[in-house]
Amino acid sequence: MTNQLITEDQRDCYQELSNVAMGQAADRLAQLLEAYIILPIPKINIIAPCDLHMALSGVDSEDKASSVCQGFIGSGIAGEALLIFNDTSFSDLASLMKYKGELDDQTQLELLMDVSSVLIGACIQGIGSQIDVSFSQSHPVVLGQHVSVANILQDEHTHWDQSLTVEIHYTIENMSVDCELLLLFTEDSIAKLNQRIDYLLD
Amino acid sequence: MSANNELVQLHSIMDVLKSIDVGLVILDQHYDVHLWNGFMESHSGLSPEEATGRSLFTLFPEIPEDWFISKAEPVFQLKSQAFTIWEQRPYLVKFKNNRPITGRSEFMYQNTSIIPIESPSPDVSFVCLVIYDVSDIAVGKQDLMLVNDELAELGRTDALTQLFNRGHWEKILEAEFEREKRYNNEATLIMLDIDHFKNVNDTYGHQAGDDVIRTLSSIIRQTARKSDICGRYGGEEFGIILPETPVDQAEIFAERLRKKVEAAVIPADNHELQITISSGLASFDPSFEDHTQWLEASDKALYQSKENGRNQYTLYKPQS
Repeated sequence: MTNQLITEDQRDCYQELSNVAMGQAADRLAQLLEAYIILPIPKINIIAPCDLHMALSGVDSEDKASSVCQGFIGSGIAGEALLIFNDTSFSDLASLMKYKGELDDQTQLELLMDVSSVLIGACIQGIGSQIDVSFSQSHPVVLGQHVSVANILQDEHTHWDQSLTVEIHYTIENMSVDCELLLLFTEDSIAKLNQRIDYLLD
Repeated sequence: MSANNELVQLHSIMDVLKSIDVGLVILDQHYDVHLWNGFMESHSGLSPEEATGRSLFTLFPEIPEDWFISKAEPVFQLKSQAFTIWEQRPYLVKFKNNRPITGRSEFMYQNTSIIPIESPSPDVSFVCLVIYDVSDIAVGKQDLMLVNDELAELGRTDALTQLFNRGHWEKILEAEFEREKRYNNEATLIMLDIDHFKNVNDTYGHQAGDDVIRTLSSIIRQTARKSDICGRYGGEEFGIILPETPVDQAEIFAERLRKKVEAAVIPADNHELQITISSGLASFDPSFEDHTQWLEASDKALYQSKENGRNQYTLYKPQS
């Protein structure tokens, strides 16, 4: 992996930014679920499309998963958030969210949307407020339900070379809830991000 | 910039908001409508004056109140955005399709955003509900899924017989084998073959041969139960998986099938043909290492039927 696009100091700074944002998001998720969220350490990487699946260290690429993505843009900084839920998460998630009735595809989609709007929104806004960027979010899109992770991240039609990736792997204490949040910033956004980061570093 | 200039700008923005092709509704924390734009007026038939001050749920009884509140409440509380997509509910408010004649759906598919907005005083809070028309996207995506399903179906079926093709049938056999191995269920595999099929082809031509295969397939389909899995394995060879079927029941099945085929009169060209079939039965045995051994076992039994004079079934006997 090439990392010339960001320096070590900048990487540390991104990690710290993500840490704060992730904490805020986890806090909201904890309120929503009334559960204790285990906080991981966000991983910062520069990756190419073909490495995207490797960024998902927390999920096996053969596992069945469901996923939602959402674009965001502000002050010329653009990216996309990707939330991937291992399908084994849904029964525990449903009981946490007090969903009653059958856990069919429709219910799972509701769960996916509820959690993603909390997590993605809070993370994006959390990062934005620290670097003084107000991100607007596009509509979420369902990438797939019950498909293998490898299928979600098909890299046939990509039109980007590298991206700055923040990987956050959320788990919940004593529950088999397992989800992976990826924030991918486009290559041309990295320079603008670096500028703003450098203000913080000074 | 002069105050007059700002007023002009404000007017332009108001004009744009009024005529923009998305629905805008400003709601207070009691879900009463404070304002809505031209899009909402056109589609609902209610002017902003008529709508103002009335509850969203009275104006649109089709909105499930609990569901909508559960989405919108975090926007009031946490000042974060919320979204709903047409895959969750095709529409929030039931509006007609924007193109009533050529539009393919009767109603308008909708995505919605609920966004927090600044309120003039601390005791009231407002959100803005934005409604997007996504009918074309939704219909297009549903069409695509339908076509994909059809393609997948085509990839699984044998064109002549409409039974599963060899590739797909073998995949099912493999999965069935794993299931039996795991749960130790009883299951029987039948392989069958048309007797002297080459003669039919040589004497009456390939067209007649195809007719014979088609007729046999339809007899197999009629005889099989819903849970049985039938496939065309090769030219005139067929495989039938009978899940949860002990061998004595499979024998009854094989004999019934044999009799039906023997009795059938097949119109082909200007002739009426009659055929017979030979089959081999092998029930699942935990000593099989993989599904191919199961397949070989019933093939051996089928061979035995041919040896013994055809038009009969044979049970596979291990080590015989």
